[in-house]
Amino acid sequence: MTSVASALPWPRVGAGGSVAPLCVAAFAAFALTVPGFATGTNIEAVLIAALPLLLLVSGQTFVLVSGGIDLSATAVVGLASVAGGLVMSHDVQPGAGGLPPAAGPVLMVLTGALAGAVNGVCIGALRMPAFMVTLTVGMFSGGLAVLLVRLAADTETLFNLPRAFVALGGTPLAAGLIAGVSALAAEVLLGGTAFGRMLRAVGYNARAARTSGVPVVAVTAAAYVLSGTFAALAAVLLTGSLETASPAHGRTLLLDVIGATVIGGTSLSGGRGQVWGAALGVLFLGMLSNALTLLNVSDFAVTIVKGGLILVAAIVDRAIRPLRA
Amino acid sequence: MSWSKVRPARGGVWFAMVAAGLAALGCVSGERGERSGSAAQPLKIGVAFETLQTEFWVAALDTLRQESTKRGITMLQAVADGDPSKQFEQVRTFLGRGVDGIILVPKDGKTVIPMIRAANAAKVPVVLLNRPADRTDAPHTTIAPDNAAITRQTVAYLAERVKQSGRKAKAAILLGDLSDINAIGRRDGFEAAVRDAGGAIDVVARVPTEWNQERALAGFQSAMQAHPDIDLVFTSSDFMLPSIKSVLSAMGRWKKVDEAGHVLLAGFDGDPTAYTMMVDGYLDATGVQDVFWEARQAITVLEQAKRGTSAPARVDDPGFAITQQNMPMFADRMWGAVMARQSHRP
Amino acid sequence: MTAQSPAVAAPRVRVEAVHKGFAGVPVLRGVSLTLAPASVLGLVGENGAGKSTMMNILGGHLRPDAGSIHVDGAVYRPRGASDARKAGMAFVHQELTLFANLTIAENLHLVRFPRRLGVWIDRTASRRLASEQLSRVGLRRGPDTPVEQLTSGERQLVEIARALTHDARVLILDEPTTSLGALERQRLHDLIRELRHDGLSIVYISHELGDVLRECDRIAVLRDGTVVAEGDAGGFSVRGLVRHMVGREVGQFYPAPRQAAVREPLLRVRGLCRGTRVGPTTLTVGVGEIVGVFGLMGAGRSELARLIFGLDKPSAGVVLLDGRALVGAPPGRIASGLAFVTEDRRLDGLCLEAPIAENLALASLRRLPRSLVGVLTGATIKRAARRIGSAVGLAEHVDLAAPVGRLSGGNQQKVVLGKWLLTRPRMLLLDEPTRGIDVGARAEIYQLLHRLADAGTGLLVLSSDLDELMGISDRILVMRHGELNGEFPSTAFDREQMLRAALPASVA
Repeated sequence: MTSVASALPWPRVGAGGSVAPLCVAAFAAFALTVPGFATGTNIEAVLIAALPLLLLVSGQTFVLVSGGIDLSATAVVGLASVAGGLVMSHDVQPGAGGLPPAAGPVLMVLTGALAGAVNGVCIGALRMPAFMVTLTVGMFSGGLAVLLVRLAADTETLFNLPRAFVALGGTPLAAGLIAGVSALAAEVLLGGTAFGRMLRAVGYNARAARTSGVPVVAVTAAAYVLSGTFAALAAVLLTGSLETASPAHGRTLLLDVIGATVIGGTSLSGGRGQVWGAALGVLFLGMLSNALTLLNVSDFAVTIVKGGLILVAAIVDRAIRPLRA
Repeated sequence: MSWSKVRPARGGVWFAMVAAGLAALGCVSGERGERSGSAAQPLKIGVAFETLQTEFWVAALDTLRQESTKRGITMLQAVADGDPSKQFEQVRTFLGRGVDGIILVPKDGKTVIPMIRAANAAKVPVVLLNRPADRTDAPHTTIAPDNAAITRQTVAYLAERVKQSGRKAKAAILLGDLSDINAIGRRDGFEAAVRDAGGAIDVVARVPTEWNQERALAGFQSAMQAHPDIDLVFTSSDFMLPSIKSVLSAMGRWKKVDEAGHVLLAGFDGDPTAYTMMVDGYLDATGVQDVFWEARQAITVLEQAKRGTSAPARVDDPGFAITQQNMPMFADRMWGAVMARQSHRP
Repeated sequence: MTAQSPAVAAPRVRVEAVHKGFAGVPVLRGVSLTLAPASVLGLVGENGAGKSTMMNILGGHLRPDAGSIHVDGAVYRPRGASDARKAGMAFVHQELTLFANLTIAENLHLVRFPRRLGVWIDRTASRRLASEQLSRVGLRRGPDTPVEQLTSGERQLVEIARALTHDARVLILDEPTTSLGALERQRLHDLIRELRHDGLSIVYISHELGDVLRECDRIAVLRDGTVVAEGDAGGFSVRGLVRHMVGREVGQFYPAPRQAAVREPLLRVRGLCRGTRVGPTTLTVGVGEIVGVFGLMGAGRSELARLIFGLDKPSAGVVLLDGRALVGAPPGRIASGLAFVTEDRRLDGLCLEAPIAENLALASLRRLPRSLVGVLTGATIKRAARRIGSAVGLAEHVDLAAPVGRLSGGNQQKVVLGKWLLTRPRMLLLDEPTRGIDVGARAEIYQLLHRLADAGTGLLVLSSDLDELMGISDRILVMRHGELNGEFPSTAFDREQMLRAALPASVA
């Protein structure tokens, strides 16, 4: 039977392939019409600002491809940031010399992986709905982060981080390297390994994957652990560049994370998605918000434009999937 | 039959749609950009606010905008919705655009420091409006009210009323979040005025609020139950006035200044609620941050920096206390009064 | 047959030169059909021949590009499905469309609930009406029974009852027997005869050519969008129908019988059971042997296969392959050489939206060669997919990057087989391996199974299609109530005996 949906005149923005022309179109249009957009320093600003989002989106792609969603990722950023701050900040650790310099970032990454593992076990092994689990783990992480900061320092944020750590997350070159290498690794893991292919199969049809010998529980759980880990890396960048550990880091990014992933061609119903598409989605949102700032468009209008575009991408995602009844 | 193919040509349709849409969006404001380019090197500044949630910040942004237009300055503006990393992104965007100066309302005193350093590196002067940074060696200008002085002046007016009555007053203060130096300054000003009164005022309750409306309500309620004879109240911010009103009303003690049993009441900020309460005759006085002055001063600092004058590290907003006595004279300078009048205009 | 000759009677439906294309691809190219009152027309053809499109036009879901349709002499041009229903068309779709969580009565009256004063739902009237409708289709169930408690055969009857709610003159049944067991199938055919007797005209679409020959008055064969043969059912044979459907002689539908041989045991199942669904079951499959397991719907065939493959946990019993015990989940068993072609391709077998190549590689991801840094490239997968694709008879021109859901049922099943053959199985479990597959592909799959067995692979084929099992097996085990109830070597195949062994004890 011919599907009605496939006959609709929707453009194919949901597929990764069309994000590239979308980005080129946006760049060309902004460069021609927005004063100060196409300058070296401005493009640099767009790229630097996009790095934490790139990391979050790389992790989220794994989860969306597996057919789930990770709403806790941005709260995990805050928790990982605080965890790092607690062991590194001179506010809390007056000496702070006892620990090796790598302890902070390592603890942050472990925190993210642990939060991801909680998600993964609940969703993979206990078969709880991803939406509910990650929402509650997100609330828990956010609350725990605030509590820890209050207990340790009786403030909202932790300052006075080691110079080496600030340089790691705050220097554009180092931050770019962390985010770039991580995103590249994610792309290879998802697109070019047996694990990536198993993950896709789970997203497309978990029952068929199980019958075909895919360890569905382990693969699903791994997707959430990866998402948590990437969220922690985003926390390293945010904490370093603002030289502050705070539970508030990343709090406003959730819409951008889901939005960039979907604009980048990752399906909200699982199976389809690439990291490079999502990375282009990040670039697109970054250019959009930069151009709108340069045009002095007020903030709520930026939210409207972004929300509208993401909704369109989600509708297109639905419309081009005629195969699922 | 089976599943019909999705034609890849649709990618092109999308491309064209977006390109056209974005181009149209750009054209609208592209005009604006060209016009400003033809003038003789006008000043270009970036304004980054952490929030626009309260009327105070709306008033500040309005003033900056009006003042910029008046002085022929191009102003870029951005609001970060409480997200420091978003604010950092906005600051970077301003720097990338080559602004001559940046006016910042930061989320907190710490996260703003890397932003100041980024601006320093680009040799762009930074003015922090109303909220100072933590201790740092990165040079910048802070324009902020002298909280202690303004509060002292405000509470002194209440002390005078107490002396006139010839009785001694039992006082309560609603404290702010004491990790905020504004809250500390206002507490210190209050305590100083109490000392000045030389025993005429006895502080029986110090209510912590953490800048939270609900905590203010609960805390003030129990203070009034413990000390029903409290007859002087100072709140560290006007936004907690509604909480005080509801507690006093419930006890039948919400009285005008000239009525018997009136509780002497003063606040800080000078917001529209405070103005209305003063006009209606319930509020005795409030300390006003002169936001209009602060905004004008911020732009002036940047203008001077452009001409080569080195920017000062701190500019104190002297502010003023507005009282039932001096209200006709000072109302025009009270931002809350201006806003209240604006919103009542048909 | 006592019914008057359809050629003499005024036709109930006359379809003339109907054309229909999708996106420029013609699907129907001048189809003409007549349907007499009180008769059954069998419509057969391979998947993609245009059967469903033709019926969707009759059912009002699609509009023809050209041509005309008359119903009882009046021009019939419905603007939608509800229009078609008003004109007396009743369409029972291939997929069941009932709401399992609602009762029979609620399902029957979902669209038009009997009302009091035009507003309130009249449950009493609804129940009474539902009882009448159910007795018409011969279903002895209360109208308040939730649909989830019904067997698939009973659901089919409810579907028909619902389709007949409006004063139907024409009933279209699209593959009505795919999910039915032998008994339920019998019941459906009885009902069709009764409805015809009541004056209804019925279009019966099916791949089960034996059924079509037995139950229909006339048969029309569709191929490539045209009617290539039409006539009284008595003038056709299975072989003749198949020839018309595929357009050529299909050599031997079932492969030549295999030589009896003494075989080393390969798969040994000892006392395997799970709850009340599968009783203690013991069976052996030899190297290169094809063992059929025959059972009606609900006999526990699929459950047994799932236990052997490790998808469910047995309450007792062991499974040995080559003398080594298989334990744990499927991945370990696949590595030992076990493979499982499931009953439901769409649900358990394939990722329909994923590319064909990815589906083919899915069960072998761990053993495909890696590049230096451990990357499994798309090229590696494509090479493996191409190789195994041609081994299972997937046409050369098939685009392996296309979603597998776009393939016909037969080709989809070849992909499932290819996926398992890529794992180089020693032992293959197949549950209903040819369900919903057209004749040409079916013959190819039988040939393939024989080639596998000749190469030494053991095959356990579980099916409710006795003809199929008799056509390909070396030995048939009959299953009833979750337990084996008889074993027949190929020399002793006896349709009647085997059916009797499979029927519930009370009936037999």
